[in-house]
Amino acid sequence: MDIRKELATIFDELLSLGGRSSTFTDATPLLGALPELDSMAVVGVIGAIEERFGIVFDDDEIDGSTFANFGNLVQLIDSKLSA
Amino acid sequence: MSFETQRFFLERKEGGARFCTLLTPANRKPRGGLLILAPFAEEANKTRRLCLETARTCAAAGWSVLLGDLTACGESAGDFSSTSWSDWLADVADFAGFLREKSDGPLILLGLRLGALLAANAMASGLKADGLFLFCPITNGKQALMQFLRLGAAADLNASEAARIDTRPLRAKLAAGENVEIAGYSLSPALAAGIEATQVTADMSLPAQLAWLEVVSSDPPAATPAVEALTNRLREAGHSLDIRLHRGPAFWQTQEIEQLPELPKEIVALLEKFTEETA
Repeated sequence: MDIRKELATIFDELLSLGGRSSTFTDATPLLGALPELDSMAVVGVIGAIEERFGIVFDDDEIDGSTFANFGNLVQLIDSKLSA
Repeated sequence: MSFETQRFFLERKEGGARFCTLLTPANRKPRGGLLILAPFAEEANKTRRLCLETARTCAAAGWSVLLGDLTACGESAGDFSSTSWSDWLADVADFAGFLREKSDGPLILLGLRLGALLAANAMASGLKADGLFLFCPITNGKQALMQFLRLGAAADLNASEAARIDTRPLRAKLAAGENVEIAGYSLSPALAAGIEATQVTADMSLPAQLAWLEVVSSDPPAATPAVEALTNRLREAGHSLDIRLHRGPAFWQTQEIEQLPELPKEIVALLEKFTEETA
């Protein structure tokens, strides 16, 4: 499974980015940099990740820095999937 | 094929009335009855139009279709803050009973998102129907409640490590018997507990015939690992399960409301196959 590709699709779909997420790299800043990503959208993205990958995040697994950039989020999913 | 639309309120034994839209094929005997159960909260707003389009398309294909608004949802009466999951289970039973009287042929429950979880729970609790149609279902109520609580906990999130989406204070309030306010809804402990305790599982008492329509963004369309695992378990438990994957966006949560004109047609096609098998 290509986590980066799946995750970019989630962002594109939920935030209606019109394909912009295909240029995301691990260094791409998200929260605070992507105007479409407000706190409600963050919750939507977390839910979509959970449903798509079949994982559940606990409260203490996600903090603001998780959404600081694309790579942090990829890393978190990767560690959940291999746990 | 033409159909007639009636809008009315279905009275509740306990008082209050639920708003119903009934679409029946004109000048012909219906193929069967189809009860559509919508999602919850913001997802209901995002999918209202699609549910209505689906109802119209199915009625045009010869089905008697009932779109019932659950107690305290949509246009129905009721105080959301005191509504429980069992109130909604009772709504489903009433809607199904009403539709059974209005149409011959098989009675199918079609649930979208949380509506699917509710439909499955109603059937497992003894509601008699001939088939269950799971449409992008939420199958894990615990996950659904967590996602809803996060909406209430996510305000003022910023990119620092100190910022959290902490649902624990909300859970503590619920555990103490208090309602919590989330996204304009006052969620009662009884509703939260009902959602959390419900799950679609292979050992649930469900009709043998199941249809499942999933909308996925992958190309070619592929079921998510979570859907794959549950559908396999349902088949192993002896269910005949017809799953179809439709390529498209997660329309129940996209920021802009998506137009998906192909979906209602896909639903009709699955329904027809469904009834051939149950006939």
